[in-house]
Amino acid sequence: MPTVSLALATIIFLSGTAAGGFGALLGLGGGVFFVPLLHLALGFPLRTAAAVSLTTVIATSSSVSAGRAGEQLINLRLGMVLEVATVAGSLLGGLTAHLFSETTLQRLFGVVTVVAALAVLARVNRRNVLRDSTLDPGLLGGRFDEDESGGTVVYRVKRLPIGLLASFVAGNVSSLLGIGGGVLKVPALNAWCGIPMRAAAATSAFMIGVTATGGAIIYFGRGDLPPLAAAPAVLGVQLGSAIGIRLADRVPAKWLKILLVAVLLSVAASMFVRSTR
Amino acid sequence: MNERSADSALEVTLGRVLRAGVRFSTVALAAGLASALALGAGRVTTVLLVAGVLTLIATPVARVLISSIAYIRRHDWTFAVLTLIVLAELVASIVVAMR
Repeated sequence: MPTVSLALATIIFLSGTAAGGFGALLGLGGGVFFVPLLHLALGFPLRTAAAVSLTTVIATSSSVSAGRAGEQLINLRLGMVLEVATVAGSLLGGLTAHLFSETTLQRLFGVVTVVAALAVLARVNRRNVLRDSTLDPGLLGGRFDEDESGGTVVYRVKRLPIGLLASFVAGNVSSLLGIGGGVLKVPALNAWCGIPMRAAAATSAFMIGVTATGGAIIYFGRGDLPPLAAAPAVLGVQLGSAIGIRLADRVPAKWLKILLVAVLLSVAASMFVRSTR
Repeated sequence: MNERSADSALEVTLGRVLRAGVRFSTVALAAGLASALALGAGRVTTVLLVAGVLTLIATPVARVLISSIAYIRRHDWTFAVLTLIVLAELVASIVVAMR
């Protein structure tokens, strides 16, 4: 493992800032970019890179959710239902590792993110919000105030099993890839489950911390999580999430989706490139 | 209090828990990092850094625990059971880590 100098700490801090920003805007923990940066570019062993990345995901999740609490954007009930699946997936994490080689897993992940990108792109101009605020959102739906729509909007949850599956898979690959799985959850919630982009992002940000916790505990217990490498990332997350939350409300939902598509496609590209190494 | 307003009260409570956890760990990690860069490795540095990381990891677990307590108090058994399952799954991870 490289020694954490001031220069290295600064690079990790700035990456943490980016992760916090993406967390606030899109509900992603940034692990999909953090692991290759630490492992391929900075020379950390893969386990250490995954462990530090999971810690960053937890910091992003807690900071963004704390900043968003009280705005009704986080769908607590939906989040808690999906968390059962995501933590079960994380607990059974070894399963995926035994079934597929790392290369196959990276290619599969690449294919899944391309499909998710296309699904979000196909609905880029359609919104999941119902403007009639008197409608009943159902057991798991929600309502929130949004400047962009000029008032209170309501949404209902559709196709819950797809959300459960995406959460389970996200948890299952979480510790292996060092991610919180927002990259799977946000597209599933927005494109298939009928959740508006902002609520999908906030609910994903809320859940990714719990997804990443199982893996982080295990890495820490086995001595694979160096706190000194995680510290600058966590500090960066504080700055990034504060900026991201301020920015997120001003960006139209359509542009958030376009940004999400761009992120998904670059994740897919990075996975395909890594699988050929 | 109806379900929705009880949920938004819970959202605010959970927000406070998450903020407190993140603040404590940020301060400890910042102090630990400063100590590591200025003084190098040592007992104080290690204690600060480990306290920061442990608090960070414990925060989502505390959030799930507090949700369970809130749903049990409200006799909302469906969500009490769901959050308790999540808590049990997290505890299982701790058991796996300690083996």
